[in-house]
Amino acid sequence: MNVTCSDRERIFEDGTPAEWAALEAHAASCPLCAEEVRAWKSLSVAAKELRDYSDSPSFWPRIERALAEEATKKAQRAGLRRWFSFLPSLSLTWQTALAGAFVLILTVSAGWVYFHRSIVDPNPDHQSLLKSSALREVESAETAYERAIDKLATEAKPQLDNPATPLLANYHEKLVVLDSAIADLRAQAGLNPSNAQLRYQLLAMYQEKQHTLEEVLEARQR
Amino acid sequence: MGTMGLALPWRARITSVPRERGTRVEPSEHFVGGPNLAAVDERSEDAALAAACRSGDLRAYERLYTLHGARMKNLARNLLGNPSDAEDAVQETFLKVHRSIAGFRGQSSFVTWTYRILINTCYDARRSRLRKKEVANQDSEESPGIEPRAPGAHPTLRMALERALAKLTQHQRDVFLLYEVEGFRHSEIAGMLEMTETASKNTLFQAKKSLRQMLEPPRGSAAESR
Repeated sequence: MNVTCSDRERIFEDGTPAEWAALEAHAASCPLCAEEVRAWKSLSVAAKELRDYSDSPSFWPRIERALAEEATKKAQRAGLRRWFSFLPSLSLTWQTALAGAFVLILTVSAGWVYFHRSIVDPNPDHQSLLKSSALREVESAETAYERAIDKLATEAKPQLDNPATPLLANYHEKLVVLDSAIADLRAQAGLNPSNAQLRYQLLAMYQEKQHTLEEVLEARQR
Repeated sequence: MGTMGLALPWRARITSVPRERGTRVEPSEHFVGGPNLAAVDERSEDAALAAACRSGDLRAYERLYTLHGARMKNLARNLLGNPSDAEDAVQETFLKVHRSIAGFRGQSSFVTWTYRILINTCYDARRSRLRKKEVANQDSEESPGIEPRAPGAHPTLRMALERALAKLTQHQRDVFLLYEVEGFRHSEIAGMLEMTETASKNTLFQAKKSLRQMLEPPRGSAAESR
């Protein structure tokens, strides 16, 4: 086979082994082609410089772990699919009916929840739970109120410890019951500090105690 | 004779040596003859590996790693530029193979399919890295970072080649890396990059021509520059 300088690039691109051999034979007597063939081949040799097949021992264990995790996830997804595996056995009509029923149930449930909330709680401002800032204010007011009532109780204590009349004895018993109820409510409020209902009940008990103590003190003045 | 520019570092090392005989013999693809037993073995092993991976056997993935892990990592490193991103891309490729092996229909070989996933994963990683870089550049007024592999006063052959490869088109770079560095055949590269064999050959030719221009200007232009 005879090749010339003009065949060189075509052979570089897509030459057969026979053509390559012929080009090399031609290059032996042609310095230009010899240089081009050398440079062309040296590119392939230089490319090997970009080869680094060194092994990193920790790499496969890392991939293996990731694959194991992936397999676990796949198994979980397969388990979920099994739950719905009966679906393909149903006809398309039944599947559509089932889906429609599901959507209907969802819509009715959502509507019920929406209207129920509106009836029970018509005032959106009403809060059955206290926010943390409100809770702090309530607790500080409660403490001040409690201290004031304790002062009244200290003043009324002599009459209540030795009741001179049956009325004062009744007041004494009433105050014992109120203190017990206050202690219970405070214990509950301690467990559930944001519950506004408990706070209202506690306030009512304190007010009742305050009125009772005022009546005891008035009875003393008479 | 060309002793100028980037020709120097490799001219000292390289003589007119024949192509290294490895996984591919150039240009053996042109031979048409009797049944190639090695190719038949390769195909049956490929099919067996695909079947074992499809069954979820982790040992099959280990075999895939043993056969191709180093080459996959090397290819990813050359596409992405650093070993850490390369390892992430290879791991992601194994996970993608695991996820989508059920959909593998055997239109190409299993290994070719795996490399196609790897190359696409590298493209994605490169795109996402570019996006992050753009966001970082928008967020800060810092000057752009220095290329980690920028050549020094006396660039090595590897660095010179990497710098020249960066100037090629994406397809030229990929074909050059797959053919010349990793030793794949044009038929395999065609499957991986979804192009024809002829296009792969032509792209390689264009890539090598450009690299030759950049690394070792032909004698004619060297003489002109003097």
